[in-house]
This record gives sequence, C-alpha cells and structure tokens, in this order.
Amino acid sequence: MAVPTAAAVLAPGPSLQRRAGLGPWLAVAPMMGWLLLFVIVPTLMLVVISFCERDSLGRVIYSFNFENYIRAFDWKWLKILGISVWYAFLTTVICLVLGYPVAYFIGRSSERVRGLLIMLVMIPFWTSFLIRTYAWISILSQEGLLNAALMGLKLTAAPIGFMYTPFAVVLGLVYNFLPFMILPIYTSVEKLDGSLIEAAYDLGARPARVFAQVVLPLTQPGIAAGILLVFVPAIAMFAITTLMGGGSNPTIGEVIHNQFTKARNQPFGAALGVLLLAIFIFSLWLSQRMRREEPE
Amino acid sequence: MAMTDALSPVPSARRWWLPQGPAVQRAFFGTWTVGVFVFLYIPILLLVVYSFNDSKLNLTWVGFTTKWYGALFQNEVLLRAFKNSLIVAGATTALSVFLGTTAAWLLYRYKFPAQQLIGLLIFIPMVMPEVLMGTSLLVLFVTLGIPLGYGTLIAAHTTFCFPFVLVGVQARLQGLDPSLEEAAQDLGATPLKAFWLVIVPYLMPAIVAGALMAFTLSFDEYIVTVFTSGAESQTLPLKVYGMVRVGLNPQLNALSTLFIGITALLVIGSQIFTRKKTV
Amino acid sequence: MKKHKTKLLAAACVGALLLAGCGKKEEVLSLFCWTEYVPQAVIDKFTEETGIRVAVENYTSNEEMLAKLLAGGGSYDLIQPSEYTVEALIKDGQLQELDHEKIPNLKNLAPEFRNLSFDPGNKYSVPWMAGFVGIVYNSEVVPGPIVGYRDVFTDAHKGRIVVLDDAREIVSWGLATAGIPINDVSDQNLATITPLLKDWLSKVKVFDSDSPKTALSNGDVDLGVVWSGEAAILFNENPKFQWVLPAEGFHMFVDNLAIPKTARHKELAEKFMNFILRPDISRMISADFPYYNPNAAARELLTEAERNNPASYPPGLDVTKAQLFSDIGEQGSKVDELITTIKVQ
Repeated sequence: MAVPTAAAVLAPGPSLQRRAGLGPWLAVAPMMGWLLLFVIVPTLMLVVISFCERDSLGRVIYSFNFENYIRAFDWKWLKILGISVWYAFLTTVICLVLGYPVAYFIGRSSERVRGLLIMLVMIPFWTSFLIRTYAWISILSQEGLLNAALMGLKLTAAPIGFMYTPFAVVLGLVYNFLPFMILPIYTSVEKLDGSLIEAAYDLGARPARVFAQVVLPLTQPGIAAGILLVFVPAIAMFAITTLMGGGSNPTIGEVIHNQFTKARNQPFGAALGVLLLAIFIFSLWLSQRMRREEPE
Repeated sequence: MAMTDALSPVPSARRWWLPQGPAVQRAFFGTWTVGVFVFLYIPILLLVVYSFNDSKLNLTWVGFTTKWYGALFQNEVLLRAFKNSLIVAGATTALSVFLGTTAAWLLYRYKFPAQQLIGLLIFIPMVMPEVLMGTSLLVLFVTLGIPLGYGTLIAAHTTFCFPFVLVGVQARLQGLDPSLEEAAQDLGATPLKAFWLVIVPYLMPAIVAGALMAFTLSFDEYIVTVFTSGAESQTLPLKVYGMVRVGLNPQLNALSTLFIGITALLVIGSQIFTRKKTV
Repeated sequence: MKKHKTKLLAAACVGALLLAGCGKKEEVLSLFCWTEYVPQAVIDKFTEETGIRVAVENYTSNEEMLAKLLAGGGSYDLIQPSEYTVEALIKDGQLQELDHEKIPNLKNLAPEFRNLSFDPGNKYSVPWMAGFVGIVYNSEVVPGPIVGYRDVFTDAHKGRIVVLDDAREIVSWGLATAGIPINDVSDQNLATITPLLKDWLSKVKVFDSDSPKTALSNGDVDLGVVWSGEAAILFNENPKFQWVLPAEGFHMFVDNLAIPKTARHKELAEKFMNFILRPDISRMISADFPYYNPNAAARELLTEAERNNPASYPPGLDVTKAQLFSDIGEQGSKVDELITTIKVQ
C-alpha cells in the first residue's frame, strides 16, 4: 500500500516522543486543569443525573434507577440518531469534495495572498447564524430569488419547492461547516514541500498521479482533522435542520435539547447525551486502535 | 524510500478525462475556488443589499436608504451586545489558542500517562450537544458559587473552542521534522525557547486557522450562552434570536455589513502595508 | 505630569466602577425576560423616570427560565412566565405575593384578566400580554371556508401546512377536536388522539414556533396553526392572510410578570409592574407586539388599524370562552415523546 506508507514515513513514530519531565508537566497543567474542571467534572455530573428522576418543575431528584436508559433503548431514538449521523456524513463528504480544491489552491498560492484568501473564507461567518440562514431561506423559498431567476430564464414554469427538504438541510449544513474543512486542510497543504511535487513531475508523473500519490497522502493529517471538525459537531447540530428542513425530521441534538427546554426532563436528556458520548468515544477509540495496528 | 515507491511506474490506462499538465490543474482548482467563494458570499451579498433596503420586511426591494445605519448607531443595546460578543470571542480565542497550541505540542512531543484517554476526552466538548454543556456548566458554576458573567461565559466558550485549535495544530504537527527543534536546542536554546522560536513560527498558519475557527464559533454561539451568561454579558446571538419572532431587523444587516466590511478592509489594508514595507 | 495623574485617577475610577458600581449607590432591578419581549423604549423610560437601572437577562422558553432560575443561576427580581408556569411556580411556593397597594394600576386591566384561573385575583402575577392560537390562511390560494382544525388538516392541503413546533400545542388541538378538555393529557387520552395526530402531522410541511410567518409569507405553505401575533404581522403585511379562531375551541396564552421568592428587590419589581400597567406604557408594548393587550385602558390608546387587526383583536371575541393551559408537570415529557414518535414514523 503506497498511500499509507508515504504518510507513515513522514509522520514520526511514537519512538520520537520523550517521557515528560517536570517542565512539560507544568506546561500541560493548565490544559489538564481545564479538562478536569470543565469537561470531566460536568460529564460526570451528567452521568450522575442520567440515573436520577425529576420533579414536576424539572428539578433533579437524586435517586438511582435505570429507567432513563431503559426508555432510551428504543428504535425511534436509534432512528433519530441514524438520521443525524447520515446528515453529518453527507455534510462531511460534500464539504471535503468542495473544500479540498479550495484549500489546495489557497495553500499553493503566493505567500502574500494566502492569508487574505483564508480570511475571506471565514469572514462570511462573522455574521449571525440566523441572519445567514434567513438569507438562504429568502433565496430558496417559493417566492425567492432562485425561483424568480429560474422562472425568468424560463427554465421552469412553476416554482420549485427547495425549502423544507433534505436538500435544503444539507445545503445549510455544508454552507455552515465548509470553513471547518477548508482551514485544517489548508494548513497541511501550506507546508507541502514544493520540491517534492517538482521531483514527481521530473520523474514523469502526470498531475493527476502526482496529486493522488504525493499530495493527497501528504495532506492526509489535514483531511483527517477537517473530517473530525465537520463530522463531529454536525451530529449534534439541529438549528439548521429545523430551520431549513421544517423540523419534521428531528435530529438527536434537537431531541436532547427539547428534554431541557420543553419536556422538563433533564435526566432523560442527560441519559441520551451520555449514550451519544459513549457511542462516539467508542468509535473514536476503535478507529485509533485500528490506525495504530495498521502499519505493523 | 516509500516516496519513490509511490512514484514507481504503475501501468494504468491513459485517463483522457483528467486534466493534463500542472497549468491545467491549477486553472481547474482556481475556477473551483472561485465557485466556492461565490457560494460562500451569495447570502452575504444579499444581506448587504438588504441593509440598504427601505423596508422592514426583507423580501422585496423598495428603495435605497441608509436609515438602518442611522438607527443602528442609536441602538445602544444592540451595540453593547455586539461589543460583548467581541469581548467574549476575543478572550475565548486567546485562551483557546494558548490551551490548544501548547496542549497539541506537548501531547505530540512528550509521553504522558493516559495519553490516549486525554486524546479522547478532548473531543467530548465537540460532540456534546450544546444544551447539555450549557446546563451542566451552569450547575457547576452555581455549585462553585461563581456569579454568571463574562468569566463564566468565556470559560464555557473556551471549553468547546479549544479542541478546534488543538485538532488543527495537531494536523500541522504530523510530519514535523524533529531536527528542527533539535537544532535549536543544540544551539543552547531551552525547550521553552525552542518552542517559542522554532515551533510556534512553524505552526503559525495552523494557529491562525485555529484562532479564526475559535473566534467564529464563540461569536455565533447561542445555546451555551443562554445558560452561562449574566445580565451584563448578553451577547449578540441572544438579541438576534429574539428578533426573529417579530421579524429580523435590518439594523442587524447593517451591523453585519459594517463588521464584515471593516474586517475585510483591515485585512486587505494590512496586506498592502506589508507589501509596501517589503518592496 | 498632572495629565498623567488625572489619567491614573480616571483609570482607577473606571476600575472601581467595574468593581463596586462606583460612587453613589445605584438601584438595580434584575429582570429575567423573554428575549426582545420587553421593548427597550419601555426600559429606558422606566430608568429615566425612576432612576432605577434595569439589568436584563433573556431566555427563549419557560423551561429554560425554570432551569436557570431553579439552579440559582442568578438572583432575579422579576420574571416573565406564561400562565401554566405561573401556576406551577405558585404551587411550588416559588413566587412572592404581590402588595396590591403598591400596584394601583391593576385597575387598568380588563376585568376578565383580573381573575384568571391560574392566579385568581392577581395574587402573584400581573398579565403582560395575551394571545391566541388559531388558524391563518392565505385566502388567495385557500378558498375556504376554514372554520376549525378539521378544515386545515385535509388531503387538499397536504404539504402546504405550517404548525407550531410545540408538542403541548399540537396535542391540545387533537384533544379539542376529540371533545376532550385540553388539559386532560392522561395516557389514555393521548392514546385516543394518536391516530388523529398521525394523520394530521403527515400533512404538515413545516414545524416552527419561532417564526411560522416566514414560510407563509414566502409562499412555501398556504395555511397553518400559529400564534395570533404571527398572524397579525402577516395581516399587516398583506390582508390576504385571514385569521380564524378554531370552532373546536380556542386556546389563549397569557404571559405575566411575577416576583420569584429569591428576589432581592421586591419593591423595585412592584414599581416596574405598576409602571407597565400605565396605559401609555402598555400601549408602547402593543406597538411592538401585536398581541391581545389585557390592559383595557391601553387599548383605548391604540390606533384604528391596530384595533382592527383581526388577529390581535378578533371581532366578537369572548375571552371567557378561551381555554388556558394548566400545568401538566411530568406528563409534559410524555406529550413531547408522543409528537417525536409520530414525527419519526
């Protein structure tokens, strides 16, 4: 297998890691403290709450039972999770296809315009999410700009219902997550050694082959990071699916959200959240294991 | 070497449909990039146009006006919310960059016990639904007796922003030439100095990218903010959310237009400035 | 040198300001309200007249407010709960009794808002705004007549309907249609209406509680069951949007001001309540929110157009016929799950 080996050679093995002395320990302490206080402790609290009950006002009553988990093992929550993962997957694939060439182009541009172009990728998102989304709605709606254009060009006789469809959902998701794919890939492309590519050309390789066998493997860490940064947050995302999709397909993020903001059932919401975390961490752990075993 | 192995001639059918030659490839990527930029900027263009529209309802063009800009400058509450958003996003970005960069480097360079576990824990804030994070942090702050305000808000935002920086920086670290750091240390630099003088510059594009992502995420966060902000730290997304019910106010378009416009000008300006300096 | 000193002094004062509120003791009313529901003009006028500063914190649902309030997230002097939440808070002893001596403007309220079932005699709460849930339809596309829910959820309208994304609301429409009191959400009653709701929801295109007017105004749907305030905005935009209170029975919501027991400034809170009950102030709220104003004296100050908006002030309305939501406590979770289940199927 040519592709993984190329990347493996350039990535340092664990052998290059040094055992941490006092200095590194001190340096990593703030992050460890942060993780402990704001990630581990709240997560443990969630785990505790997920075994509790609540009263009529939604306050947690500390008790211990498995009821929330028994209730959580039901095909409908699984189906909802499945839909969420499917949307996240589609979003990730489309973002990768759309974003990679952009990241590559920007990363290979002259040093002077690189910074400018990468800023231009992010700046549209310094507006409010809702304003951007409502702008999209005014483009895609039945009396919107896109239909007006299509009908003006006589491409369609009757307006097309773009809004409140899976298409609109995926478009909204791709739009909002695209920069999180482009940026990490860009940082990988940016450090590409131009002479390696030159050498490949000198050896007579065609651009497509150079791209597939040199560029892609070398930017693999960026691709992996981009996939993580898009796929993971997209699973729990729900504002876009309700606004652009019409809310008839609830996602796991929305269901959990509703337990807190509508159903007054924090313990059940916590149980669903804990399960989501567990599934996610297990699959991440599995993929890490598989990746570690691969080179051997 | 694997590199040459990868390039060793493999018999393959001639693919006529693939671009031939680097120039064609570059033209293709360039066109693609322009297309994606059009996609990114279509709604933004619309938003800017509507900020000059003489109608409160967004859909139809009535006439040109700058009255929303005038009204915006009178709207102290909206401006204060915007300022709060900038403060929170700015502080969150700085903290996230610090935590994310140092952690990425240390976890890459040194061996810690339970390293794998730490690597997994970092992803929890990314996958955790915002409402779970918001409420659990609220309970934490209340239990610790910390009053809700800028501090709690920034802490909460940093918690879900720094993993983005960390992941981005880690990707850049993959394939780092170890001799880079060693050379610096051979010249007598302490590990800290070597990190600061050699590694940080090398990581700069990833740090900038991470900072951009952290800023964007924090600037637009709504749900976590609801639960962890106090009366003095109400941010822009909280205001915008409420406005949807009575119809989005074009003042918001004006504010977005100004912010984007000024940022773009600053960025382009700095480009021209550095260009002049080097020439 | 001197300049330097004043600069330092200024800096010190700014620092002190941030820390302690600097100098004279300022009175601050802490208001925890729905986002954008209290017009800034009203707050500014209150501060101008009384010198009391208002610190505003926002939420977007009753449950969000409950979660933050009960967790002890802050000490709020005034909250803005809806009717069923007021009932639940009273039941739990979370609200302070009002001193009616301090709120003489209560007299401005219409009599039917002085004795609502969730808080008889306004012992704990003061109505802010009321509204209804009803049917809005685009009369250019939907020929009508539309009288009740049954006329909305027909095959002819399949895929052209918007409804509130609110499980409790949807269930109440089903109960009303089945002739069951809308607060009777027992498991058995939920089971009874499940087939009906399944049929209805399969015809719905959009679920949206925040801005159902968007889909209607953009032509993506033709009719729906929405808040009266949304319909009023649509009517102002284009009179083709007609408004009907469902024949099966209609539901009224009442948002209120109330003082939680943890409040530190009860007197300031009562001052604010009295202030917003003044006709001229209440009228300002109506200008921003075209809901049903419970303040009879303020209604007199409305313009002809505002009063004639059929969604804000339905002609021939008998408020006493309106049904109110009462608190359903834990059963809310079942109601939510029912709608989620139907949506997923």
